[in-house]
Amino acid sequence: MSKLRGIDGRLVLISGAGQGIGRATAERLASEGARVLVNDINPETAQIVADRIGGTAVPFDVSDAAAVDLALTRIEAEHGVVTLLVANHAYMTMAPFVDHSEFDFERHLTVNLIGTALLMQRCLPGMVESGYGRIVAMTSEWGVIGWPNATAYAASKGGIIALTKSVARAYAAKGIAANLVAPGTTDTPQLDVDAIDAGLTHEEMVAVYAAESPLGRINRPEDMAATIAFLLSEPAVALVGQVISPNGGTTRL
Amino acid sequence: MSVAPATALVTGGASGIGAACVRALREQGLLVGVIDLADGAEADAFMQVDVRDAAAVAAAVTEIEGLIGPIDCLVTTAGYYREGSITELSVADWQDMLAVHVGGTTAAFRAVLPGMTSRGHGAICAIGSELGLCGDPFAPHYAAAKGAIHALVKSVAPEVASANVRVNVIAPGPTDTPLLRDDPNFASYSSTLPLGRIIQPDEIAAAVCFVLLEDTTLTGQVVSPNGGAVM
Repeated sequence: MSKLRGIDGRLVLISGAGQGIGRATAERLASEGARVLVNDINPETAQIVADRIGGTAVPFDVSDAAAVDLALTRIEAEHGVVTLLVANHAYMTMAPFVDHSEFDFERHLTVNLIGTALLMQRCLPGMVESGYGRIVAMTSEWGVIGWPNATAYAASKGGIIALTKSVARAYAAKGIAANLVAPGTTDTPQLDVDAIDAGLTHEEMVAVYAAESPLGRINRPEDMAATIAFLLSEPAVALVGQVISPNGGTTRL
Repeated sequence: MSVAPATALVTGGASGIGAACVRALREQGLLVGVIDLADGAEADAFMQVDVRDAAAVAAAVTEIEGLIGPIDCLVTTAGYYREGSITELSVADWQDMLAVHVGGTTAAFRAVLPGMTSRGHGAICAIGSELGLCGDPFAPHYAAAKGAIHALVKSVAPEVASANVRVNVIAPGPTDTPLLRDDPNFASYSSTLPLGRIIQPDEIAAAVCFVLLEDTTLTGQVVSPNGGAVM
């Protein structure tokens, strides 16, 4: 496809972009001409990705409200207003539900759900002032349909859906479109969590998921990056609070 | 895995959302054929066809493929909206609504799918409707027909996925087309939408281009540029 409308030259913040879907999204958006802010909790991976795409590393902890505010204040002073936001970071462990510790369950909600909310809260005023914004929050196929041994993760991702739909309703008329991408099982480092839970190697896990997909292949980070890029484009303003599910046809809602 | 699409066929491509899709796909460099009940499409190939006639649709696809080459992408937009209550609509009203939307969509699918699956690539985008998701008290036959298109797509998508053919729905909300402008409730739609205005045809076309042209794992899905009407 030719370049998407409304991305060239815009400032985009991508959380959790040191690896996986976030990194692929950073690469795609850089190729579309965006000025990319590469966030990750790991400063080294953020820097590697930023160097690769000619972006800027902005490592901070998205679940720490003070850290988010400090980082965005610095970003706005040095780069301008973030009008495109991709809340992509995620924390995930797997365990049987009755064994899942309260501490680890809460960590899913704090990082995934509250972290996404904090990013939105801090970026929305600038978008409102600009009269323009696009927000993509990453949920998960499991946040839509639920999944055994991934209860905490699925609950946090389901919360992100309700959060984003609510934000979408509140801000659509101000020129700000908020939507969600619900990836099916995707070949990223996070897949190791699935593999360990299933007692398989990463490669064996990929083969299992590929066999379960009608398309016959596991989802790639690039599949998600292309979907995110579309939702960040100008004409995607017609989408308000929608969940887009590139999953190879495994779940069809 | 990915073959850059070179051609597209758009049913109902002479006006409204269909015409916007034709323009957008041609801007992306595709050769675009159109079948429509009405004349006047700006396309690389055109056949005047009633989509209720499956044999005519199949013949038109063969003809158009002779002009622009094998069809890589299909967009089905042919349709119409008409109000009527459940107690007043005649059997003929129902039959025609289903013949155009479900029959016409199925006829186009059947005409292009054997070629797509044998070549091992292809993408289809059916135009459904927000009303197919949430129903329409003013047009139950229209809502039922659009809902059937959604179910058709979810059924066909897994069947042809192994041949690397993707099938999805774009389900628009109220869109600024001749079809809507004839609607007596036209003015009131904007205030009902979180977006605060109705959708532009080129915004629907952009979603169609994403679904068809981006090489992703999106299949069997309903994508809804509906201004927040249903979420």
